[in-house]
Parts: sequence; structure tokens; C-alpha cells
Amino acid sequence: MDLEFTQEQLEFRGEVRGFLTRELTPEVWKNHRDQSEQGMWTEAFTKAFRRKLGAAGYIGMGWPKEYGGGGRSRIYQAIFWDEMEYFRAPGLDRSITYVPNALLAFGSDHQKKLLLPQVMRGELAWFVGYSEPEAGSDLANLKTLAVEDEVSGDFIITGQKSFSSDAHMADYGWVAVRTNAEMSRHRGVSLFIVDMKSPGVEITRYQTLAGWTHHSVYFNQVRVPRSMLVGDLNEGWRVVMGAIDFERAALASHGLVGFQLDRLLDWCVAGHDGAPPQIEDPLVQDELVRLAIEGEGTRLMTYWLASLHERGLMPQHETSLALLVKRETARRLDVAGLELLGPFGPLRTGSPWVQLNGEVEVEYRDRLYFQFAAGGFDITRNVVAQRGLGLPR
Amino acid sequence: MDITLNEEQTMIATSALEFAKGAVNAQQIRDLETTVDGFDRAIWHKMVDLGWAGAVFPAEYGGSGLGLFELSLIIEALGQGAVPTPIFSTVVEAGLLLVDAGSVQQRAYWLPRIADGRSILTTAIFEPGGGLLREQVSTLVEPSADGFRVNGTKLFVRDAGVADAIICLGRSKSDSDALSLVLVPKDTQGVERRRLWASGGEALWEVTFRDVEVPADALVGLAGDAWSHVEQLLLRGAAMKSAELVGIGQAALDLTLEYAKTRRQFGQPIGSFQGVQHHCTEMYRDLTVCRLLCWQAAARLGNVKNAAREVAMAKAKTGEAIPALTRIAHQIHGAIAYYRDYPLELYYHRAIAASAAYGDSGHQRRALSRLLRSELATFQGEHRHELSVHPL
Repeated sequence: MDLEFTQEQLEFRGEVRGFLTRELTPEVWKNHRDQSEQGMWTEAFTKAFRRKLGAAGYIGMGWPKEYGGGGRSRIYQAIFWDEMEYFRAPGLDRSITYVPNALLAFGSDHQKKLLLPQVMRGELAWFVGYSEPEAGSDLANLKTLAVEDEVSGDFIITGQKSFSSDAHMADYGWVAVRTNAEMSRHRGVSLFIVDMKSPGVEITRYQTLAGWTHHSVYFNQVRVPRSMLVGDLNEGWRVVMGAIDFERAALASHGLVGFQLDRLLDWCVAGHDGAPPQIEDPLVQDELVRLAIEGEGTRLMTYWLASLHERGLMPQHETSLALLVKRETARRLDVAGLELLGPFGPLRTGSPWVQLNGEVEVEYRDRLYFQFAAGGFDITRNVVAQRGLGLPR
Repeated sequence: MDITLNEEQTMIATSALEFAKGAVNAQQIRDLETTVDGFDRAIWHKMVDLGWAGAVFPAEYGGSGLGLFELSLIIEALGQGAVPTPIFSTVVEAGLLLVDAGSVQQRAYWLPRIADGRSILTTAIFEPGGGLLREQVSTLVEPSADGFRVNGTKLFVRDAGVADAIICLGRSKSDSDALSLVLVPKDTQGVERRRLWASGGEALWEVTFRDVEVPADALVGLAGDAWSHVEQLLLRGAAMKSAELVGIGQAALDLTLEYAKTRRQFGQPIGSFQGVQHHCTEMYRDLTVCRLLCWQAAARLGNVKNAAREVAMAKAKTGEAIPALTRIAHQIHGAIAYYRDYPLELYYHRAIAASAAYGDSGHQRRALSRLLRSELATFQGEHRHELSVHPL
């Protein structure tokens, strides 16, 4: 048991903090923020920034050296994710976190050698195609079909994926499809890597209530070579479940919660024109104390998961639990932020008298998705009860 | 950074749990709760034989030199087994206080006696007016002709009925800021004891000191300088009670899961219903957060770092979450666990008793509020960002 960072880990953290401070100056924020995009940075800046992360060696530092990785421990990766979230830096998404982790675990040697070096340089953007109109929480109900072309050995995909974050800027899709309609629901699913420039891929846009765009992806007779099948044919459910554990571990990072708390603390200490600082109110103090305790729990969970990964213990339901704790805590902070801002809370970005640039209000709307995406709160509670606590289905 | 138990720690936790589950059954625990002593010497001596009484003492006093973290694993297991023991009075309070502040003679005399099971010791800190803050202490410990004279009433003194000595905290009349600790042997004239009967089974006492005379060498630590030692005692107590609460929560969760998997209604196990599953996940979620906070508090205290923040967070969270967890456990069990012969009630009681000890959740949150107001950097912890990174 060691709950302290080593000197080397602290130095690494300092280096990451320095990098992010230098790169994300107030001018950069002013010029490249975009509330109409998921993650709230412009597409161009997100892509450019990811290449910078690659050049600085921050992508894939925990991967094995044979695929060009840095061979560093999982703790470093967790520190990096933690700081990226805290700084609300662009580019920390599936493209550099859980998709390559799943590729490492389940991909073929050919796929790893082809794709991982590009991922490491920050050149690739991915979308993940799981959800469909009739397959949300019940993912095994997915209907998108891939049929083998017996002449070429390619697969031809037809169907629709929904709620597909960042599909418009993706180079590749990580797509779950049905390859055998006769088999039981959880068998007969396969996982393909789809080149998004392929003929027959069509993307439609929707505006979210937070103001950014989200997508559906249509596959109309899209041809995918067999070499892009991840894992075995009809055995994709195992790949999807494994990838979801990586996804939850990545999304469970503590950084966002730490930032939310600090921003709120700063605001309560500083106050605003014409009013005494909120921090003098004992009720406010108690709320901040309670939030800080939950924040500390979230932080410890992040590094607990990283420790389990580092020891090769492959956390499963623990990743779901950690994600639940992180996202519930973040939502609690969203709500507390609005409450502390009082009548100023609903003021939107750009309004006179807006506090904290209206971020609390826009994030309160935006992060509604925490309650349903990547396994909603209620589904996650079922997953933990069944996979972790052994309660019957 | 490695938030997992190492091989030795896993072994300690496993063997402690094995002992705790087999040491005493539910009926014996209930019977012990009605005795004046509150615990069974024979069971305590088995723990002594396992090396737990001296686990955290230096080897020169018959101890094993283990850390507070390892002790927290043992105490968590004892909480899980609901084993009545004098480990808090004798080890967590008095023993470690003597390691911390005792004179060479006091340490050499008492610590080996604790480690080999000959002695039970305790401390008397709390009073009708409080005792978690220095200004709340009103008991007087004043210089007298041959040493010190003690006058006052102490409450919630653990195991005072069997303790060979009580280390008592008091203030001087002339300098009310000067707090001192004196060791008062059993049967000293002027000491009166009344048993308090509380939920949770600990043997708590009121101890009244009336013109109690002790010699000069009864002083523990320097005269007037006791409070920093008492603060450490309270931190150790809070951290270890948090660990006990985690054990209590684990026991309540285990009982609940077993029940939810086997109890059938509407033709199926009740654990297959989403309402029940969600409750169980909530219990497990809070328990996991509590355990991580406790691990951090105990490890940090053991590292002789400033652990006020981490301990307060652990006790604030466990003190609220674990009693809540036992209420949900009872809800899932329904009427069956309302009966005394079902073991869940033991944990229901212990949760509130442990929450109340060494500062309840509200006290801990007030302590954190004070840090927030006076030492923001300490409140935010070692991992804080030096500057706000809010760019706009």
C-alpha cells in the first residue's frame, strides 16, 4: 500500500502541468473555444493539439515498446489523464484512451502495427459505433448487419449507428455489427474497424440541448476488408465488453471533478461585485467540505483503478463503479455550482453580470449526458450489482 | 503509488478476518454486551497471542513494529466480526499515547505489559462539556505538594472498570491554556466510576476524580504541553474508528447480499429486482469510497505526516455513510432482521456507536471548514494545483 506519488511521478506531473499551462494560454482559450462542438474546442484545434500531445510523447506512454509505446506504468497514464481533464484540454477522448487500449488487448498484429503508430502521433480520430435506435442500454439488440462477400472475403455493412460522438471528424470507426442473425443475442456480434472515407458512409447532425452537434452514422453497403475484423468472427461481444471496461476506466479520471471544485472554491472565496464572499456562510462551507470529500474519494478511485491495472488485475465492475462515483460527483458539483451562484446561475455566456463566463450553466446542461452515456447511472448500478456483487439477472 | 495491499498486508487482513469471524458468535456478543467488563479476557488473550496488542509498539517494548495502516486492517476485521475488545482503550488510546509522550520509565513499565496482555489501560479525555477541542476541557490537574491533584468528571472512558490505570487530561487553574496528562493507577483514592450503557457494546464509563493525588512522575509528557499529544490521540482514534466502520459496513453488505440471493418472493430471489440491486450497489459504492478514504487516513498517519485533513475526511464520510448503509441493509432484509436473533442488529448498533466516537461526522466537517477558512492549501491537500488554471 502506497498512496503517495514517487518523486519521479511528481516530476512527471509537474512536467505535464507545465506543458498544459504553456499550451493553453488565455489567448488560446479565447481563439479556439467553441461551444458548438463536443468538448467545446474547435475541430481544427482539437486535431492540432492531439498531434502536439503525440509529439510530446504523451500518447501511448503505457503501451508496450514493441508497438512504439513508452512502456511506462499505468500510474503515469492516469496522471496524464487526470491533468488533461483538470485543464479541460482538447483531444482527451476515445481516440487516445480506450480505443487504442482495446486495440492493444484484442487487435491483430497487423492492426496494431498499422494503426498504433498513427494513434501515437495523434493523427487519428475515432468514433465508436455501438448504440443504435433500438439498441441503447440493451446493446445486444443491435441490428446493423455485416454480410461476408464470398468472392472477396470482405464484409459489407448496412445499418445505422446513433448518438455517435465526434463521428464527423473521425478517420476510423470502431463498430459493433451483427454477423450472424441465427446465433443468440450475445453471440453473432463482430467488431470491425471501418475507414470513415469508405463509400456508403453518411453522417447526419443533431443539435444537443447544450448547443453542440452530435451525429448519427448510416452505413449503406460499406465494404470492410476482413483484415479489419477485431478478434474472432461472431465473438465481438467479448471485445465490446473488454473495450467498455477500458472506456469506463478512462472516463472515470478524477481531473474534471478537481477542477470543478477548485473553480467553485475560488469563486466562493473571491465573491463578486457588490456582495460579500460566499465562503463566510457556514452552510456554504459545509457544502464545499462535503464536495471536497467526494472529490477525494473520486481521486483515490482513479489511482486505485490504475494500481489494479498496473498489477495486471484487470478491473471489471470496479471500472463501472469508479465511473459512477466520478460522474455522480461531477453532477453534484454542477448542481452545487448553480445553487451557489444563486440568481446569477442561469445567466448565459455573454450576458451582463454573468459569473464564471457562464460555464457553470452551460456545463449543467452539457453534462446531463453523464447520467445516460457510456452506461447510464441506473444501468451501471445493475452492472455493478450483477457483475460485481453476484446478484442474479 | 500502489493502492493495493501487499503480500504481508493481505496476510494480516486475511488472518485477522479469519480470527474475527470465528472468535465469538452473535449470542456470545450479546451476552458480553450486558456484562460490566464488556469483553472476554480469554478472547482478548487470543488476540494478544496473535501479537495484536503490541503490533504497533517498537520491538524494544515487546511489540512488532507494524504501522498504523496494518493496525487499521486488524481493526477493520474486528469490526466485521463485531468482536468486543479493549483494543481502543489499551492500544489505540493509552498505548500509543505512551509511545508518543510517555517517559522512559512509563514506556518500559507499561508497554510490555500491554503487549503481553497483563495490563488494560485507558484514557480519560472527554467531559460533559466536550473534549474534542482544547477549550472544552474543564477538569483540573494542578500542582500539589507531592505531585498533582486531579478534580473533575470524565465521560465515555473506555474500559475504566478493568483498566490498571487511567491517563487523565486536565488543565491548570492558573494557566487555563496549559493542559497536562497524568497517569492515575487503579484504586487511587478519590476515583469513582459509573458504567454507562450504550448501543454498540463498548464498555463506556463516567469517571469522577475528587481531590485525587498522584506523584510527580505520574505526568505523561511535559506539564502544560499535552494538547498536541491529545490531538494525535484523537486523530488515531478517528482513523481507527473509521476502519472499524468499514468492517461494520462490509459485514452489513455481506449479510444483505447473502439474503438477497437466497430470499425468494414473487417466485424469484429478491436480489434480481432492480430496486434491490440498486440499493446494494449504493451500499457497495459508499463502502468502497469509505475504504479508500480510510486506507489513506491510516497510511498517512502512520507516515507521521500531517494527516488532519485525511483523517477528518475519512471519519466524516464513514460516520455518515456506514450508519446509512446499515439502514438500507435492514430495509432489504425487512422484518426478519428486526429480531434480535438475526445478526444484522449488531452492526446497526455498532455503526452509530463508532460514528459517535472521536468526533462525529459534523465535528469532522467543522474541522474541515476551519481548515478551509484558515489554511486553504491544507484543505485542498498535497495534490492541489498551485495556481487557478481558470483562463477567463
